[in-house]
Amino acid sequence: MKSDSSKNKITEILISAPTLSWLTVFFLIPTIMAIIMALRPSNPYGDLLPGWTLENFKTIFSPIYISVVWRTIWVSILSTIICLLFSVPVGYYMARLSEKFRKIILFLVIVPFWTNFLIRIFAWKLILNPDGLIHKTFVFLGIIPSGGSLIYNTGTVILVIIYTYLPFAILPIFAAAERFDFKLLEAARDLGATRWLAFLHIFIPNISKGLMAAAAMVLIPCLGSYVIPDLVGGTNSQMVGNLIANQAFVARNIPMAAAWSTLLMAMILLPLGLILCVKILLDKNKD
Amino acid sequence: MMNDFLIFENISKKFGKQQVINNVTFPVSKGEVFSLLGPSGCGKTTLLRICAGLEEPDNGRVILDGKDITDFSPNKRQVNTVFQNYALFPHMTVRDNIAFGPRTAGWNNKKIASEVHFFLELIQMSEHKNKYPHQLSGGQRQRIAIARALINRPLVLLLDEPLAALDLKLRQRMLIELDTIHDQIGTTFLFVTHDQSEAMSISDKIAVMNKGVIEQIGTPAQIYEAPTTSFVAAFIGDTNFFEGTVSEMINSEISRIAPSDFPEITVYNDKHLSIGTKVYLSIRPEKLNIAKTQPNTDKLINIFKGTVEDIIYLGSMTKFWVTTQNYKLSIIKQHSSFLLDEEPIRWKDEVWISWNPEHGYLLDQYAETDENLLTIPT
Amino acid sequence: MKYKSRFSKYVTWLVLFFFYLPMVVMTINSFNNSKYGITWKGFTLQWYIDMFNNPKILFTLMNSLIIGVTAMLVSMILGSLAAFCIHYYRTRLQLFHNNLILIQLGVPDILMGMSLLLFFISIHLKLGLLTIFFAHVTFCISYVTMVVLARLQNFDFSILEAAKDLGASWPVIIRKIILPLLSPGIIAGGLLAFTLSIDDFVITFFVTGPGSTTLPVYIYSMMKHGNPTVVNAISVFIFIATFILVFFTQKLTDTKKK
Repeated sequence: MKSDSSKNKITEILISAPTLSWLTVFFLIPTIMAIIMALRPSNPYGDLLPGWTLENFKTIFSPIYISVVWRTIWVSILSTIICLLFSVPVGYYMARLSEKFRKIILFLVIVPFWTNFLIRIFAWKLILNPDGLIHKTFVFLGIIPSGGSLIYNTGTVILVIIYTYLPFAILPIFAAAERFDFKLLEAARDLGATRWLAFLHIFIPNISKGLMAAAAMVLIPCLGSYVIPDLVGGTNSQMVGNLIANQAFVARNIPMAAAWSTLLMAMILLPLGLILCVKILLDKNKD
Repeated sequence: MMNDFLIFENISKKFGKQQVINNVTFPVSKGEVFSLLGPSGCGKTTLLRICAGLEEPDNGRVILDGKDITDFSPNKRQVNTVFQNYALFPHMTVRDNIAFGPRTAGWNNKKIASEVHFFLELIQMSEHKNKYPHQLSGGQRQRIAIARALINRPLVLLLDEPLAALDLKLRQRMLIELDTIHDQIGTTFLFVTHDQSEAMSISDKIAVMNKGVIEQIGTPAQIYEAPTTSFVAAFIGDTNFFEGTVSEMINSEISRIAPSDFPEITVYNDKHLSIGTKVYLSIRPEKLNIAKTQPNTDKLINIFKGTVEDIIYLGSMTKFWVTTQNYKLSIIKQHSSFLLDEEPIRWKDEVWISWNPEHGYLLDQYAETDENLLTIPT
Repeated sequence: MKYKSRFSKYVTWLVLFFFYLPMVVMTINSFNNSKYGITWKGFTLQWYIDMFNNPKILFTLMNSLIIGVTAMLVSMILGSLAAFCIHYYRTRLQLFHNNLILIQLGVPDILMGMSLLLFFISIHLKLGLLTIFFAHVTFCISYVTMVVLARLQNFDFSILEAAKDLGASWPVIIRKIILPLLSPGIIAGGLLAFTLSIDDFVITFFVTGPGSTTLPVYIYSMMKHGNPTVVNAISVFIFIATFILVFFTQKLTDTKKK
């Protein structure tokens, strides 16, 4: 008996070892190293100096940079909310379709999901080009001045973020809606609820897991956006991701880049922790 | 040596802190259908898995045909299992499923083909041999699982709740088929079930298990008619319990007992329990007579007056619950004559309950909690 | 049927229009004889000819394929192993294993790129194809694991016992039962890994070195500094390839369900 379970343990460790060690070496250790590196001092040329410091974090919270942090947060939250607002009706509609049409629409949603996102961003650059129809219409309607630009501002960054991550929000919501028993809505209606009330009190709570997944799928990559503000944003629409890349490639100041990375990690862990707390609270209320 | 074909000897098994099997010993004879019957969690499946080699006992030995097989790995034992949800290989056809064991054992192709053919015929599935498990009905999958196990010519076939996933009608049909297969192959069957009617109808012998121990081993009739413990009496069918002390010896076999809150009852005391001994009486509902008029009074017959509390008409019989002296007795009346001609017994009727003392049975062991197993409406 | 709301229908079609409008504009523009901008100046195939005449594209595509195939193979093995032990052994070690994979999935590309860059620099590993390979396997493992794990949800482990009971040894069980049953999941995971690897820009951008430019990195540099016209042509190709790939994977998973 004893020999059997210890033999089992050895087999378990043997087949877990390759993946576990790979992830430890190439994920866990580098991540911890980044946090440690953020505490190392450096001179303005990016050379590493001996000792430890919190100077890098002081720089982050200086007035010039703090606005970037705020922008990253509000742009991400706003984009996530808009994505959810669009994906709920889409997920609802898809779940109610006949199987044949559902497959077609699903296919049409999955294709952009898989298309290289550089290309998808670039397509918007083309559309919003000053030479393009949309730009000309906007100028004609007086929405923007003739010398103005549709790209290189925060609005465009949000638009392209939504464009990029909307499929990521639709898919989990659709998956949840597909499992939803639509007879519940009929039951609610039968019990006197209006359509809107039934939707809000029956449908939404039942797909809450899908909503959470969708929110996480959009919010997390949004916070780490780098390419989108880089390609369609202007100097006033930089996000934390751009600062990381700047420090790594332009300023060549690794401790500063590491400090920004650590901040980004904290920004992601914070809402995740919040969601976890809310979940624990909700579970407690259920008892 | 027929009796000692498969022996479980002092088997114990713990899962964590829970004692699942507690020092169980019993023999299984060659060629019989032996059932392990008990509620879920009683340890019956674990015992079967120990026999299959899928679990190891903490203590004890399993001896098959004179050989100690306790330490043999599953693939080295001459036993095969029919799993609860059949565990058919979903990526293989019916034929490949059945041929899996022989192929693994390295039989030659000719022998495999002829054996597979034989078993497909036996279970009447020849026309489905190229189908996949998901294309089959529950009953068909069941038969494949049986054939897949039997083709290896096991000394013992282990069946783990094989009918649990089927509906009632199909279950009854499969029971008959299982019985037919057993008659044709003659392999020893070790059958695990929680369903008493399954066990009663198919078994030569039943071991009733509860909380890791065997409460009673016997033929289906022995277990039903002469349960030794309150658990067996309550788990197999319904019964009425009385608790009292022996108060008077009428003759060497007949005694009177005095329950604390019920008039004296005449019982058949073949265990020769002396006056003052605490006894527990179990009497099956169908052994009780119910009538609107007072039956012939023989001195030895127990007769009590009561009020009908509940009636369930079941076609071939009617179940009554009658209150008498604060006791709720359950009574089954079989309808052997045309019911509509009889004067019906109605709710709240005053009735006479009577029974022959020889129809009750004194238990060896009693636990109050076993009364929860009875179907008494409240 | 009564409850099908028209509002959700309109939103869905609007969203699909929003998804495909840029693609259509880009496709049309790839035939536009205008060097900059999107005003129609006549039909041309010039940009496609340019694309095929650009040796750098073939070179970077080869790099992408080398990384994609090797990362796919290695992550298929590692991911399947991980999925199997996470599902089969429910121990504390596997809980850690599972959480490590989940966290890895949640980390934004830029963080992974940054920390890997830091790591490779500090162990003095020269940035190049090898470092890209390491990085790609790392993020692919999690995806393969998730796909295989999903497949394992429907995996009835009692058939392993049945096989053992019928006399099969572990090597036979792995070859005849586990691999055939899990192969659709493993292949799907591998396809996912390959696509993710071929598509990746951000992480690659951080750990790439001289001579190891992949196609997305090259496309990015063309977008920023080179000629956008060729980017249009490449994009159309990639878009079509994606379309076909998704179509076939959908078909594949569809038949497997039945």
